[in-house]
Amino acid sequence: MISQAAMAKRAAPVLACVGLLAIWQFASLGLESDSFPTAIEAIRAIPDILGDKESLINILASLRRMAIGFGIAVLLSIPLGLLMGRSRAVAAFFNPLLMIIYPVPKAALMPIIMLWLGVGDITKTLVIFLGVSLPVIYHSFEGAKAVEEKMLWSGAAMGLSPLQRLVRIVLPAALPEILTGCRTGLVLALITMITSEMIARQSGAGNILFNALDMGQYDTVYAMIIIVGAMGICLDAVFERVRARLVRWSEPQFDMPLSFS
Amino acid sequence: MKVVPSRSSEWVRPVTSQQPASAIIEIDRVSQVFQTSARKDHLALSEISLTIEEGAFVSILGPSGCGKSTLLYIVGGFVSPTSGAARMKGQRITGPGPDRGPVFQEFALFPWKTVLGNVMYGPRQQGVRAHEAETQSRALIEMVGLRGYESFYPKELSGGMKQRVALARTLAYHPEVLLMDEPFGALDAHTRTRLQNDLLNIWERDRKTVLFVTHSVDEAVFLSDKVVMMSKSPGRIREVIDIDLQRPRRRNELLLDPRYQKYVVDIERMFDESDEVGSPS
Repeated sequence: MISQAAMAKRAAPVLACVGLLAIWQFASLGLESDSFPTAIEAIRAIPDILGDKESLINILASLRRMAIGFGIAVLLSIPLGLLMGRSRAVAAFFNPLLMIIYPVPKAALMPIIMLWLGVGDITKTLVIFLGVSLPVIYHSFEGAKAVEEKMLWSGAAMGLSPLQRLVRIVLPAALPEILTGCRTGLVLALITMITSEMIARQSGAGNILFNALDMGQYDTVYAMIIIVGAMGICLDAVFERVRARLVRWSEPQFDMPLSFS
Repeated sequence: MKVVPSRSSEWVRPVTSQQPASAIIEIDRVSQVFQTSARKDHLALSEISLTIEEGAFVSILGPSGCGKSTLLYIVGGFVSPTSGAARMKGQRITGPGPDRGPVFQEFALFPWKTVLGNVMYGPRQQGVRAHEAETQSRALIEMVGLRGYESFYPKELSGGMKQRVALARTLAYHPEVLLMDEPFGALDAHTRTRLQNDLLNIWERDRKTVLFVTHSVDEAVFLSDKVVMMSKSPGRIREVIDIDLQRPRRRNELLLDPRYQKYVVDIERMFDESDEVGSPS
């Protein structure tokens, strides 16, 4: 049996999507512009893209670059962030560097990287890596800094070495914060993935989008936007499930209902 | 015994040489200076010397800011003294170790571990096999009155329950000395009383050495064999008072015992006097 509240909770996102598409549909019908297809036209174009072998290979190549860039970024950023959080010397060294890199849009670095490494996979993966690294480092750093001193002392009294304390106390204690950073990183990975393919146009989902734009296939352009958006929603949903499982111990026990319902 | 306990060596270590053989912790002219700002140094502890005998329950009592917790952290090896030394069984303390188990006011449980996981952590770290560690830990959890809560996470427990887990977690790796840093300070009065009673019951079974920091006079008198009174700015030992009350102690008997009442009143009066003479606040 599903309660009424649970039903409403499930129906809400569906309603939101349907509502958005409806507004799009009517706006498009009203404007009657060639470059603004209706929602139905855009959705109709999706099977063509996903059915096309070449497009599919392109999209999968994008996802592969994204996975590699994200994976390497997470594996390097978490240890760095944790070390920064527990060692003043490490923080003092890396903080200014990161402060300089943080506000620079990573796509703005692409021309330079392309000069050095070409327009291939390495360049794009590197840009994704840079995009993901900073939020993950930052959140790991904050998470590690906030770890209660007494918790580390308790571990030290049990005989844990400094390295063991970092891996077995700081890492799990900071995990909720780290995963918040990873979630931001995941969205940024998707964004930098598309941007990198828009700049270095050779393959990938971003390339399909811009080729279609060049050729005036506006329904394909909009269909690609829907596909990329759907990819983002799915990745985030999967990540959120994994995250919730990993940090079940830290979540509040009860959903506090807001009083405006 | 070797033959040559020369006079000079006795002179160099006056604290140790005069103490009975059962001393487990010696604090030898320990001072601690904290830098509060660029130029000002704060003398938190000044030349503290104290010997704690094996199996004794010793409370360190003093107003906040007298450095009593710092003294405990020095014995724990978490803080290095600016000068002087603390020794455990004659060995200079240079860092934390499983022979000295802390219990903090803040509980400091591992929130990602269940109650059982927390209690098993120390034994597992010491290489006790999982099965054996679990059996021992379950027994300890029962001893602190938390049977049935083994698979709960710390966030699901009340403050009093958390402190019970923290106590069990520390007892689990068999430290020779328990270092308790205002362990009941964050609890409400009722819970506090219950935990004091339970701690005393547990302690009276195996009489581990306990160093117990508190600012509550009745708590110190109720629990301790010896109360070390400290005064602040700089942190000094004012008085060491032996609490000569029979054990096992029962709260309801003790509260009616004039000797208990006298200890409490005397100690409180001493604090009041020092307040008048001491800081203007």
